Amino acid sequence: MIRRGAKLVWRHQRVLWWMFVANFALALFSALPMASRVSKVADHSLQSHRLIEGFDLAAFVELASNPDVGFWSKTADSLWYSLIFFAFAMFLCGGILETYRTDRKLPTAEFFHACGMYFWRWLRLCVFLLIVLAPVFLFASGVYQWSDKLAEDAGPEMLGFWVEVAGMLLVLLLLMAIRLWFDMAQVYAVAENERSMRRSLISAFRLTRQNLGSLFWIYFRISALAWIGLSATWWMWLHLPFQRTGTTFFLFEVLLAFWLGTRLWQRANETLWYERYAEMRISEPAPVEATAAGPAALTPETSPASPLQ
Amino acid sequence: MPWRATGSTFAGAPIGCKLRHLVPNANMGKFALLVLAVFAVGLAPATAQTTSPGKPLSERVVGYQIDARFDAQKFVLKGSETLTYRNLTGQPLDTFPFHLYLNAFQPTSTFMREVRRDSSDFEWKDKYAASIKIESLEVVGIGDLTSQMRFIAPDDGNPDDRTVFEVKLPHTIPPGESVEFKIAFVDYFGEVFARTGYKRDFIMGAQWFPKAGVWWHGKWNCHQFHSSTEFFADFGTFDVRLTLPQNEIVGASGEELSSVNNADGTKTLTFHGEDIHDFAWTAQPGYRVVEDSFTGSMGAVKIRMLMQPGHMNSAPRYMQALKGTMDLFDRWYGPYPYKQITVVDPPHGGDRAAGMEYPQLFTAETAWYVPKGLRLPEDVVEHEFAHQYWYGMVATNEFEEAWLDEGINSYTEGKIMTKLYGPHAFADLAGGTIGMHDLERYQYRGAADKDPMAKAAYNYMSFGSYGDITYGKTATVLTTLEKIVGEETMQRALRTYFERYRFKHPTGEDFLKTVEEVSGQNLRWYYDQAVFGTKVLDYEISRVRSDRVDWYQKNSAKEEKGKTVYRSEVLAHRKGDFIFPVDVLIKFDDGGQVREHWDGQDRWVRYTYQKKAKVISAEVDPEHAVWLDKDFFNNSYAQEDIGKGARSKLMTYWLFFTQLLAQCLAWLV
Repeated sequence: MIRRGAKLVWRHQRVLWWMFVANFALALFSALPMASRVSKVADHSLQSHRLIEGFDLAAFVELASNPDVGFWSKTADSLWYSLIFFAFAMFLCGGILETYRTDRKLPTAEFFHACGMYFWRWLRLCVFLLIVLAPVFLFASGVYQWSDKLAEDAGPEMLGFWVEVAGMLLVLLLLMAIRLWFDMAQVYAVAENERSMRRSLISAFRLTRQNLGSLFWIYFRISALAWIGLSATWWMWLHLPFQRTGTTFFLFEVLLAFWLGTRLWQRANETLWYERYAEMRISEPAPVEATAAGPAALTPETSPASPLQ
Repeated sequence: MPWRATGSTFAGAPIGCKLRHLVPNANMGKFALLVLAVFAVGLAPATAQTTSPGKPLSERVVGYQIDARFDAQKFVLKGSETLTYRNLTGQPLDTFPFHLYLNAFQPTSTFMREVRRDSSDFEWKDKYAASIKIESLEVVGIGDLTSQMRFIAPDDGNPDDRTVFEVKLPHTIPPGESVEFKIAFVDYFGEVFARTGYKRDFIMGAQWFPKAGVWWHGKWNCHQFHSSTEFFADFGTFDVRLTLPQNEIVGASGEELSSVNNADGTKTLTFHGEDIHDFAWTAQPGYRVVEDSFTGSMGAVKIRMLMQPGHMNSAPRYMQALKGTMDLFDRWYGPYPYKQITVVDPPHGGDRAAGMEYPQLFTAETAWYVPKGLRLPEDVVEHEFAHQYWYGMVATNEFEEAWLDEGINSYTEGKIMTKLYGPHAFADLAGGTIGMHDLERYQYRGAADKDPMAKAAYNYMSFGSYGDITYGKTATVLTTLEKIVGEETMQRALRTYFERYRFKHPTGEDFLKTVEEVSGQNLRWYYDQAVFGTKVLDYEISRVRSDRVDWYQKNSAKEEKGKTVYRSEVLAHRKGDFIFPVDVLIKFDDGGQVREHWDGQDRWVRYTYQKKAKVISAEVDPEHAVWLDKDFFNNSYAQEDIGKGARSKLMTYWLFFTQLLAQCLAWLV
């Protein structure tokens, strides 16, 4: 399954590069004005050597706090361009899932038609996601405060720390499970052309709950690969000579493409999983009461066995 | 003071040093001295006279004998103190002020008012409450004067502040005579808020006993305890008997003379310290003891480290930094004359007791994991040990001239750390580096014009300004002073200052005059601006230009290197008010260079050259020795776009983080 997902992403790598170019271009819009401001102060200053022949944090802070650079005020630009990318990713998502579902190169018009058709559904889904995430963040905040209190007052001095580590791991797992659930809702909506995001979510919840082990294992393994990639890049970057900015740039961009790729890989695998699931469901005799309610009425009793079992 | 006061909090950073003089065990001379000390303590009356043979190192104005019993369950200490005060003031005295520092930890105290003033989100918690109560005060030969005690607030008149009291005697104590106070007191320790108190089963007993003020410059000097001030006291002897549960592992100022187990499950430890001006102790059942020794020019010094079990991986780092610092201090500034130094490693959550100095004892700071490239544990150890010199022996007034202890200490911290760990002494981690002088200058830049150095610690604009100026600016001012007098002269000046004023209470003027004397220079022009003023130093190269001399000819010959004549000009500009003579280095494209000296008196200076070469760069202070310059980036101008590399690097990082941020955000889709 994992390999098939990777092959699917590879076959349709056009969407990956589209996203990568957008990701890069938007960040570039944010970086160019910053570079221009840095240029005013640093281009003709011998002090710049401290940033070239290493990364002298004191020199960096001095440069960043220079009123002509206004480095910190430019961080807002990064956030804005990230939000644009967020909207762009939301827009492309329908086309990407449709491409993976049909496993064929969609004509441009058809691709963008799918993008537009699902955009508003994803927006509604995103609102649902924020609602679902709210208690998770509340829980995370509670864990943080509790661990703080334990670190202050509990007898064992490391208790607070370990509670925080355990709490954050739990939050991470919860976030992954929730993302998986919402991914499945999107896959379901595309596969079944479901307009109601509420119904998609309910069906996806049942599906995910019944097949949590197999689905989560797929999601987790690919996430782990992304994190391993990040760690490996970090390690390589630390061992690069400081002056090798070009190599650093290449390394970073490869990592970012890899990260995008792993996210699409998750999408592809989720789509494949659902397609197989749907095939197995069709191959079984349909229960009488399910015809009116459609797939949304799937229950643990009526749903077929996991395609991965 | 905590290691590095910055911002609005108390906060508290090189491998490959060649350690010298490492001796595994204390020698027999120390043992003999201890035996003599035990003998002397046993026989001597309550007096401030020396208890060991030989000439006392200090004047020994005070002699404290304290018998204390600590209840480790309730964090309450009951003590009886006999203070023998020798009137060496040259005039009769009938009024004596005392510090009761522990009373600062009350919500209405001046200390807490100032904490709240500087951190509006600070919330009082009952667990911080601590106090010291005087049960009785008797003067030998006069009688009980408990009813004569009167709280005073000499600094701000706060009637609720109970950190200073005075007592008036019915008759005067003539010059040269002694007076003996017998004080019964009870300490109620709170959870450690600043320096003293408990955390779980850890206790740091600091500022825990009634302590006499200092007669200084013709009057009593006994300030209230402020959030940004530290301490000031007379040298003397301390004989302390401390009774506490037998499972406690104890460290203290002075040296331990005996430990006797009592039938009630307690033990009584006896300590003796001489030529010190404070006494602190700590106890915790879980301490891991690491011992070693260092041999300096005055013999062996026992090193005793009380470590948290979870911090044992920091023990070798502490030890290496401590021995390296002791060695350099011994060689550069003078000997450490005491026979022991105790390093206390506070527990997790007890870091408000960390990074603090006491005579012969200091608290360090680390965590269960600190990357090797981040030399915070080493730096704290260096800084706090150095206080044995700049506070412990050269006992300046920390209330009124904090720059003399914290500032000079920060300066020597930069020197020692750089010597021990190289130019990136504070941090060399994950591609980023920070040197010690950079760290100090960073602090200075944050508050460059807010307050002068020479100002009472409690009168600074804020706690942040106090930290930035007292630590950061002073260190930067002294590093820049090195440029004026030379590194070797500066080191000699500090050694002279130490040798001349150890076991005394010098003033800022004493220090400044010593540097002038040793360097043979009149430095008032610098002191007036840097020490007593708030002027900001900022020079820039505002223009560099090379123009053909035949620029007006329409059909002039093609430019040819080495043949075409240029008229070049370099314009240097003094942006700040601080006047400082500097060199300006101008480089030409034929490899030639010119060094100009500018006295900085005018706002700007223009240098003009006519030669067969273009100017390629001009730089003010080419040796980068004027650390007080607030902006290093405008100190130079190069014709070539040499910042391309820096720009590309920053842009690469910026791109990466923005793309990553965008991808993380897109995870929500």
